[in-house]
Amino acid sequence: MKVAVTGKGGSGKTLVAGALVRHLAARGHRVVAVDADPNPNLGIALGVPAGQVEVMASILTALIASGHTHDQPMPDPDELVARYGITVADGVALVATGKIERPTDACLCCGSHTTTRRFFGELPAVGRIVVADLEAGLNDLIWARPAADDVVLVVAEPSAKSVEIATRAVGVARELGVRRVLAVANRDRDGEHAARLAQATAIPTLGVPDDPAVTTADHRGVAPFDAAPASPAMVAVGVVADTLLGVPV
Amino acid sequence: VLDRGAERRQWAAMVRARQAGAVDQLVAAARDADGAVTRCLHWLGVLRHVERLVRHAGGPRPSEEVARHRAGLEAAADEAWSHVAAAGMAVIAQARSRLGLRVAVIGKGGTGKSFVSATLARLLARRGRPVLAVDFDTNPGLAFSLGVPPTLGVLPDDALMQHPGAAYGWGLGDGLAPAAIVDRHAVAAPDGVRLVTVGKIGGADKDAARKTIAAVRELAGAFGEPDWDVVGDLEAGPTTPFERYHAFADRALVVVSPTWVSAMTARRLLPMVDDVEALVVGNQFRDEPDHAGLEPLGRIPWDADVAEAERRGRSPLDHCPDSPAVAAVARLADALTRQEVMR
Repeated sequence: MKVAVTGKGGSGKTLVAGALVRHLAARGHRVVAVDADPNPNLGIALGVPAGQVEVMASILTALIASGHTHDQPMPDPDELVARYGITVADGVALVATGKIERPTDACLCCGSHTTTRRFFGELPAVGRIVVADLEAGLNDLIWARPAADDVVLVVAEPSAKSVEIATRAVGVARELGVRRVLAVANRDRDGEHAARLAQATAIPTLGVPDDPAVTTADHRGVAPFDAAPASPAMVAVGVVADTLLGVPV
Repeated sequence: VLDRGAERRQWAAMVRARQAGAVDQLVAAARDADGAVTRCLHWLGVLRHVERLVRHAGGPRPSEEVARHRAGLEAAADEAWSHVAAAGMAVIAQARSRLGLRVAVIGKGGTGKSFVSATLARLLARRGRPVLAVDFDTNPGLAFSLGVPPTLGVLPDDALMQHPGAAYGWGLGDGLAPAAIVDRHAVAAPDGVRLVTVGKIGGADKDAARKTIAAVRELAGAFGEPDWDVVGDLEAGPTTPFERYHAFADRALVVVSPTWVSAMTARRLLPMVDDVEALVVGNQFRDEPDHAGLEPLGRIPWDADVAEAERRGRSPLDHCPDSPAVAAVARLADALTRQEVMR
């Protein structure tokens, strides 16, 4: 199974993707976590120390540094995971597709988007689960081009902007032919946001409650899954994991 | 892989020629301006505009075309400088207070870029300044914060042209001057703000986003009206500053919230905008300390009324005009205009 996590910036994509990965791994699944954000920070939500996240190579920057040009075929995706990925908690493999830093004269013309498309598209998903945390907004969803059998997880927080972008994300996913699209109403209070998001998107919607434990973890730059595994938000992402796995909840 | 180099160079030359034409018009307007202060304002505007174009025109591999363009720009700057130097200090000071701000707002998603951009734009307009708000984000956002329907302000096809060398195959049409395009196509937002936006992904017009991205960037870059404030809201994250979407601006506002990742993002973004003056703005702060090394120019408090405005999709200036967060943006507007006079 491959899961692409999308939504407005600041809606909680990385929080949901990180906790989802940890839940899936804790249930015994082999998981590859793909940080497709050119501003990579999924590692933090997976429990990697911030300093290590900051120095982690991305596929794009590592390939450029090694003299790779876009005329050459990209190495096999599994080889890229082995070469540039790191193993984090619960045996999860974490790999970043493209970190964009200071302007350089290096060839970034293909950008992180192309790397994401090729990597996410070609990485085999047999016997493992691939979870990709995409860049904020809908452009990267188009670039990642999830396949019909993939899952698109659309995360929204309670703002009208976030709900509007989620609604558009569902439309984009449908146009791409994706059959399984699921919405996550993050920072929900009393089910109100989940009800509104479900109505706006007309797709199955799960709520993740507004949770002070997550806020505290966000301020400290640590994974809420480690800091507060039993918090309501982390338990709710467990329900998202079970739903994806088809476990009755 | 197709080699589109020649077409790209051809399009870049057309863009530079249009920029040069716009500078010629600014110079002509300055020569015709009435009154010492207004004349000085126009020449200051020419100087500032040329400075921006030169700063961003070269890139790593400047061509002969760039050098030719640069010579014309420097001639305009020389003429402008001679006029400004001849004006008295009192006239220059008055002219500077009317000189438009050019601000690009960047930062991690969800930190409040659109809230800051829209509120700043409307508050500047309330002071009687002409304001152009530019939405560079292909996702809806700024329009909600301004209080206009999110489908308005997209450049129509007759302001665009197809060219194989332009990004996504489309750029700004060359029939009209930048100010005329704004006059004709920018939507009127509350308080007199004018809004131009890129098309949005996932809407009825499937091509709207890719057709308008380059055009909006070209428009913002060529638009040099001296007294207009230009506030640009950039798409979240590092891609837009990496691609120099902020080239229209003199300053970048990097918005951070109390989260650790927003500070990490700001630290990654700051080196990308070192070609302009970069300033940090803190948003949604309760009693958290500032992030280390990110001393903010302005601190906007967490505000339940703004959160409610966001939930409803209303402009905070309409929903909660007296809220502490709006008051903090007003202080930010003060600080930015004061700094502009001091520059």
